[in-house]
Amino acid sequence: MAAEHETTGLQGAQRDPGAREDLPGEAVDWLRRIGEALDLAALQQLRVNYLGKKGELTQRLKALGSLSVEERRVVGGRVNALKQALEAAIDERKAALERVLLAAQLAGERVDVTLPGTRPPQGGLHLLTLVTNRLLDVFTSLGYEVVTGPELETDHYNFASLNFPPDHPARDTQDTFWTTDGRLLRTHTSPMQVRYMETHEPPFKVVVPGKVFRNEAVDVTHEAQFHQLEALVVGERVTMADLKGAINEMAQALIGPGTRTRLQPTYFPFVEPGAEFAIWWTNPRSGREEWLELGGCGMVHPRVFEAVGYEGVTGFAFGFGIERLALVPYAIPDIRYFYQGDLRVLEQFRGTL
Amino acid sequence: MKVPYSWLRTFFEPADVPGGAAPGNAAPFPEPRRLAELLDGLGLAVESVTEVPGAPEGTIVVDVRSVTPISGSDHLARTVVFDGSAEHVVVCGDQNIAVGMRTALVLPGTYLPAVDLTVLAREIRGVPSGGMLASAKELGLFEHGAGVLALGPDAPLGAKLVELWPAETVLELELTPNRADAFSLLGVARDVGAKLGLGVRHPAAGLALADPARDDGLTLDVHDPAAAPRFTLRKVSGVTVRPSPVWLQRRIAAVGLRPRNNVVDATNLITFELGQPNHAYDATVFERGHMVVRRARVGERLTLLNDEELALDPADLLITTTGPAGDVPLGLAGVMGGAYGGVEASTTELVLEAALFDPVTVRRAGQRHKVITDARTRFERGVDPNLQELASARLAQVIGEVAGGRPHPGITAFGADVRRAAVPYRPSRVRFLMDFDVPSDSQRAYLTALGCEVEERASDDWLVAPPSWRYDLALEEDVVEEVARVHGYEHIGMTEPDMRFVPPAGDPTHRRLRDRLAAAGLQETMTYVFTGAAELAKAAAPAPVVELASPQGTEKAVLRTALYPGLLAAAAANRAAGALALFEVGHVFGDVEEERVALLMRGDRVEGRWREGLAGDFFTLKGVIESLAGLEGALVETNPAAFAHLHPGVSAEVSWDGAVVGSAGRLHPAVAAAFELPEVYVAELRLPLGGKRVAFKEIVRQPYAERDLAVVVPVSVTYAALAAALREAAGEKLASLEPFDEYRGARLPLGSRSLALRFRFRDATRALTDAEVDALMENVIQAVRSAGYDIRA
Repeated sequence: MAAEHETTGLQGAQRDPGAREDLPGEAVDWLRRIGEALDLAALQQLRVNYLGKKGELTQRLKALGSLSVEERRVVGGRVNALKQALEAAIDERKAALERVLLAAQLAGERVDVTLPGTRPPQGGLHLLTLVTNRLLDVFTSLGYEVVTGPELETDHYNFASLNFPPDHPARDTQDTFWTTDGRLLRTHTSPMQVRYMETHEPPFKVVVPGKVFRNEAVDVTHEAQFHQLEALVVGERVTMADLKGAINEMAQALIGPGTRTRLQPTYFPFVEPGAEFAIWWTNPRSGREEWLELGGCGMVHPRVFEAVGYEGVTGFAFGFGIERLALVPYAIPDIRYFYQGDLRVLEQFRGTL
Repeated sequence: MKVPYSWLRTFFEPADVPGGAAPGNAAPFPEPRRLAELLDGLGLAVESVTEVPGAPEGTIVVDVRSVTPISGSDHLARTVVFDGSAEHVVVCGDQNIAVGMRTALVLPGTYLPAVDLTVLAREIRGVPSGGMLASAKELGLFEHGAGVLALGPDAPLGAKLVELWPAETVLELELTPNRADAFSLLGVARDVGAKLGLGVRHPAAGLALADPARDDGLTLDVHDPAAAPRFTLRKVSGVTVRPSPVWLQRRIAAVGLRPRNNVVDATNLITFELGQPNHAYDATVFERGHMVVRRARVGERLTLLNDEELALDPADLLITTTGPAGDVPLGLAGVMGGAYGGVEASTTELVLEAALFDPVTVRRAGQRHKVITDARTRFERGVDPNLQELASARLAQVIGEVAGGRPHPGITAFGADVRRAAVPYRPSRVRFLMDFDVPSDSQRAYLTALGCEVEERASDDWLVAPPSWRYDLALEEDVVEEVARVHGYEHIGMTEPDMRFVPPAGDPTHRRLRDRLAAAGLQETMTYVFTGAAELAKAAAPAPVVELASPQGTEKAVLRTALYPGLLAAAAANRAAGALALFEVGHVFGDVEEERVALLMRGDRVEGRWREGLAGDFFTLKGVIESLAGLEGALVETNPAAFAHLHPGVSAEVSWDGAVVGSAGRLHPAVAAAFELPEVYVAELRLPLGGKRVAFKEIVRQPYAERDLAVVVPVSVTYAALAAALREAAGEKLASLEPFDEYRGARLPLGSRSLALRFRFRDATRALTDAEVDALMENVIQAVRSAGYDIRA
């Protein structure tokens, strides 16, 4: 391989000496030697021999002084021409030799590009984080503030301030993990409604993502620990149509343009009027078009506003489970996969959602 | 609650036609599917619509004429039945079968889908059996397999049973706790009527109430009027206890109960029809005629209808009677009747109870004794406080009809009707809150149909008096919801809130941190906040602080005090994976709740595969934390400190911009062994790991002057301590100091190591001369020597 390169590289330097018949015979020999120099060191030696301070051509130029003006002009012209010819030949040979060297170097540095790369370790986010991020992107683009709150809550924030009367069956709908010291694991993200309102003044638009807990039997669709996203908007006159508009915008962003949403009356103690909402979509698992029941919503109950000392405002709130939005589109058969830390599951969710 | 379609439809007929609507009735009542949509739209969510098949074809009504035991069998009998025109002989094994009983005969060739059986004519023990006498369960009518179906005299002999007991559509409602009134057919009918503009026939309409002034010989003493604000007792004489007529059995079966006898079925009918739980006592228990409603006494016990014996609590409210043997508890008020005093086959005299109990008293008793009944469900949500006397009259009427009783004209009653406070209401609030218009006439019509009394003081100033059965209507917003849901939520438009609000910036979900850790090659996991005390101990984590009162098992009984034990469990679960790098962001629950991030790394940091990779160790873990700090513009330091879960020699306290935020190190080999893990590195840091905004500094264009120095120090001296001392000695022209080699070996004194250090000096304004740099290095060397360390040549 290397020899082939060399031959090819040298071809350009093979000059016919006869083209310079005006040159002295020895000069033809010089040019031949230059053209045949085997490496850069040999070429440099020839340059010194011919063009160096004590070189043969330099000696001749010095000898011009003994000639007549006319002879000097003629001979001087010839010698200069010869000098140029030699320099050109040397440069040409040098370039050729360098090409050969580079080719050899490149050949020596060849690698097998089909061998696998050395990868930095590959990480990733949990699917629930990806889905939450997606939702937060939607809401921040709609001008909402993102806030979070404690998971260990008090009866006051989780129930009483949200208009759940003590000893009311409404509490049965939220199977609660009580702690031995009388606190509880929040059963919904709604306590943050009260916590936020206690420290802020309307108008505002906030969303609260976070873990919530229900003491119910665990199966493929129910977990004792799951995630919710809560939205709260309060202003001088916020309406149920604003609520439906917000849910609809979220649906458009998540599912696509033209997505329909539906509100149906229901009861949550902390909203009045209250509703549950659903999104009309094509279930990727079954391919069927159907209503996806997502969560609860409504106008903030006047007693909740009373609890935080707000007057003369209205607001809406809605909340829904995040797991559902991860389980259904990905056809994940068992909600418990989310908390088992199995890499075979976790590593599947890469790229865009 | 189960709503049988045919029963609900009777509320829209001129009269209750037992068995369903009369054909050709004019009422335009929606088909079941459409009805389900309407109910969903009204907030009475329909969980399911089920087609319940009727009795199998090939089943006829017969009387039992004779029962002759078959010799050689201890239970089979040759049974002769009569269908009105012919006798049939069947072999039957039911011990309760008796001559004169009316039941159903399954003719040969009939398929019974409920038990997947085709009845054939065959010979049993030498007796030809021409069919089968079947139980309700075998006939697919209701869940009762003990004994053949018992019919009342209303079922005509020879009739095809399917014509008496046809198919039914049952809508199962998932009712919200506020709609106490909808736990009855009447309540559901009211909503449907309001929606469709149809009049609703009250089943007790026009019934004469009994007269409290008439003496019926009963006396009543309510000790706790707050817990039992209303109480009525009504005598009915001359009843015959027997199987209910088919129409009653069908209704009772369709709501999911088991028909028992005409009296008990009538009481259940009233519970579902009107939403008034009630009870029928055998009047003989009132031997001294005195009933007392009181709290239980310490140590008192009560055996319930279902034979369960309760140890009563002094907060339990009891219905009792005084008898020769002293006080006898008859039932746990509002929850369940007792085994004593109930209706028996021999009962002829009844005392009917219809009462109102305080929701909280009932709820607490039910919770205390873990009993859920139809009565409790209704009382704890709220029963119409004005319904008792009417319900009692309706119950007496039905019992008279199905059991032949004669109600006493008098009633023993306690308590009076209540009136709910009228709600000031502005019809314009519908527009204000819902953003759609409902004309005033429609609003009035909806509210009136729901039972409200509407007084219009001005066009936008109404007084709306909610009916006694609507506990949930107290505020103007409640009334708005009534109007809106009857009008239909489909009228809600879609708008955007009109407000000026600029959200503050922030990253409360630690998204940047998660993204950076993922980019650094760590996989995010999520584990449970609940764990076990043993699991925490196994991981050498702090002991639990918060315990759950009713956990789902001991391994989920406490809240986690650290995140890393969850990652260890995940690492153990992923034992098959080679290298592993995990992180979790979550809350931990010590004396305070705080948010943390935990990191776990095991195996190679970079897997080389066919060439050299990078082995993972403490420094690759620390490098990840340093990268995070670098990206935040923060300074991270680690200093030796002991942590129970970490290898004592590879255990550090992590400081972030000078504040201690957590720990990092190699998992203690003993802990690793407990989790069956190899060498594992973990870190756990408190969040948020903030950064700081720094002012721009003009770039320095002067070159660095570099000097290297190897210092021999005892191993007990940390790099950080040495570097701090040398930085000070080098002065402010020292731009950076980095170690580039560590040597421990035989050529050094025991217990010491050599650290090779690279010093880079620079001045912002000019190039430093060699002499200047040498002088600075001389200061460094002096400092090394005065600290008692050697310079290594």
